[in-house]
Amino acid sequence: MVNTFDKHLIEVIHQKSIKIPIIAVTGGKGGVGKSTVAVNIADAIVQMGYKVALVDADVDAPNDHILLDIPLENSIEVINTLPLINYGRCTKCRKCVDICRRNALFQPENSFPILIGECNGCEACILICPSDAIDRGKRILGKVYMSKRDGLTLFTGEIVPGAEESAFVVNALKNRVFEEANDLDIIIVDTSPGTHCNVINAVRAVDIAFAVTEPTPLGIHDLKLILKLLKKLQIESKIVLNRSDLPGPKGQINFIAKAYDSNIIVDIPMDDELLKSYIIGIPVVRMYPKALSSIKFFNMAKEIVERFLQ
Amino acid sequence: MKEIVILSGKGGVGKSTITASLGSIFSEKYKIVIADTDVDTPNLALFFNAKERNSENIASCEKAFIDYNKCKGCMRCVRVCKFSAMASYKDKPIVILYSCEGCGACIVVCPENAISIKKVINGKVDISDIEEKNCVIVAGELNIGGSSSGHLVDIVKKKAREEADKTKADLILIDGPPGIGCPVISSIKGSDYVIAVTEPTPAALHDLKRLYKVVGYFRIPIAIVINKSDIASSEKIKEFAKKNDIIILAEIPYDRKVSEAVAMAMPVVKAYPNSEVSINIKKLSERLNIFEFEKEQN
Repeated sequence: MVNTFDKHLIEVIHQKSIKIPIIAVTGGKGGVGKSTVAVNIADAIVQMGYKVALVDADVDAPNDHILLDIPLENSIEVINTLPLINYGRCTKCRKCVDICRRNALFQPENSFPILIGECNGCEACILICPSDAIDRGKRILGKVYMSKRDGLTLFTGEIVPGAEESAFVVNALKNRVFEEANDLDIIIVDTSPGTHCNVINAVRAVDIAFAVTEPTPLGIHDLKLILKLLKKLQIESKIVLNRSDLPGPKGQINFIAKAYDSNIIVDIPMDDELLKSYIIGIPVVRMYPKALSSIKFFNMAKEIVERFLQ
Repeated sequence: MKEIVILSGKGGVGKSTITASLGSIFSEKYKIVIADTDVDTPNLALFFNAKERNSENIASCEKAFIDYNKCKGCMRCVRVCKFSAMASYKDKPIVILYSCEGCGACIVVCPENAISIKKVINGKVDISDIEEKNCVIVAGELNIGGSSSGHLVDIVKKKAREEADKTKADLILIDGPPGIGCPVISSIKGSDYVIAVTEPTPAALHDLKRLYKVVGYFRIPIAIVINKSDIASSEKIKEFAKKNDIIILAEIPYDRKVSEAVAMAMPVVKAYPNSEVSINIKKLSERLNIFEFEKEQN
């Protein structure tokens, strides 16, 4: 079996085309508080006087703009190729049909090929066509937005409902961030739940990843998966234990943390202020700066600033 | 046989909690198969004391491999790859395997015939029996860093259908992944009914609306379950449901007992059958009975 993560690949994953620090907020399980953590540390760092890029890379379900109550602005379309067969030039040679590994093209006998299946825009058909008879049409997969407010620049990726190429949109989003965030101080990337390609694209080139979890068996199970991934990618990880007062086998977390060279850096108990601010759409660190959860977020922000910005 | 898929858009709103409890209730009366298609982070089995019967590695994705004895480093493959899955590393291209779609566009342009497409193991499917019940769990799990989660979901569903045929099951209950991307779309395809679990937060409603659009493309009926219904006002969800003529099947209040039940590896309806949460999930199961299974029972 081929080793999927050989050392060259790791080097490529760590290649960084921007000089400012990049932090990821991830966690495996959905709904553990990734966006809450990302939004609050971003706002806390803004309050300390820095310019922050917050990148919402959960392109299936981007929610940071809702938690911040910021409209999505400055959209750019994420476009993939849709093959358009030019019947004037097509010689019915069938090469495009044979090369398509997704069987998206179909050619009835003595007729022209037609696109019937799910095309992923790979362009193999365009590359192989000897008569230059396939044009590049456009399929819109999603949008990437950039909204500015005070010291915060929110970049948001959004897949079009019905499209499947989440990782493609994440790539487009990160490319835009790397082009436009050069004069900012730090980038915080909020990933989707899970461990697959869109999460990997989101954590590419980051300096550190915070894995948010809760002390339930489900949270712990999924924490293990994300820590495993981060270790494979050789990305430093720290654990944020959210809803730390929920019942569950907390001891296991330290055990897992150790196994994957990580540790818990903060625990955040459930408090009413946090829930209220979440529903209203103002970060708790702004709405209730004295709440226990806010104090935890400010401490976390301070540690990030001390390590990466001073 | 019917297939119900439980989805949400937003993660952590209670898909698995509700699936596990519904599974527990339905298996009292029917033969059922529960499928876990959240292949990134499958944790439905954590709710049950299930005994694994079979575990099979799955190669449901294809990747490009470069023969470096033939490659001359022209980098044409890097330039044509639409998925940023080829990178130049020093003087040779390398395949970023997790991004590679196995489309073969690189093969078309390689002048040295140095690239081939090979099948790669990207996950596994486990089949387990819940001993005391008429219930089988089929769960997919993507390898760490694996890809093609949609294809793995297709295989999980295929195996779940085979199990259902074998046991003459009445129902396949599918615990779906969060989001609206490829594994979600694979989970929806071919199902009879979608239960969209949500909670009264603006983020969850936003994601519910996006999920509703996706399900709409497949013309599959959808109904809403409002979980943690008392943490805030559900007004906006109800407005959305009314405007689009969507049934709200149940409103289930927040209860720490749900977490306590998970900590005991049990569905909440089993651990705390008299809690308000359990009573509401039972009501939900009764409503589902009425319009889904009656016609196939006789």
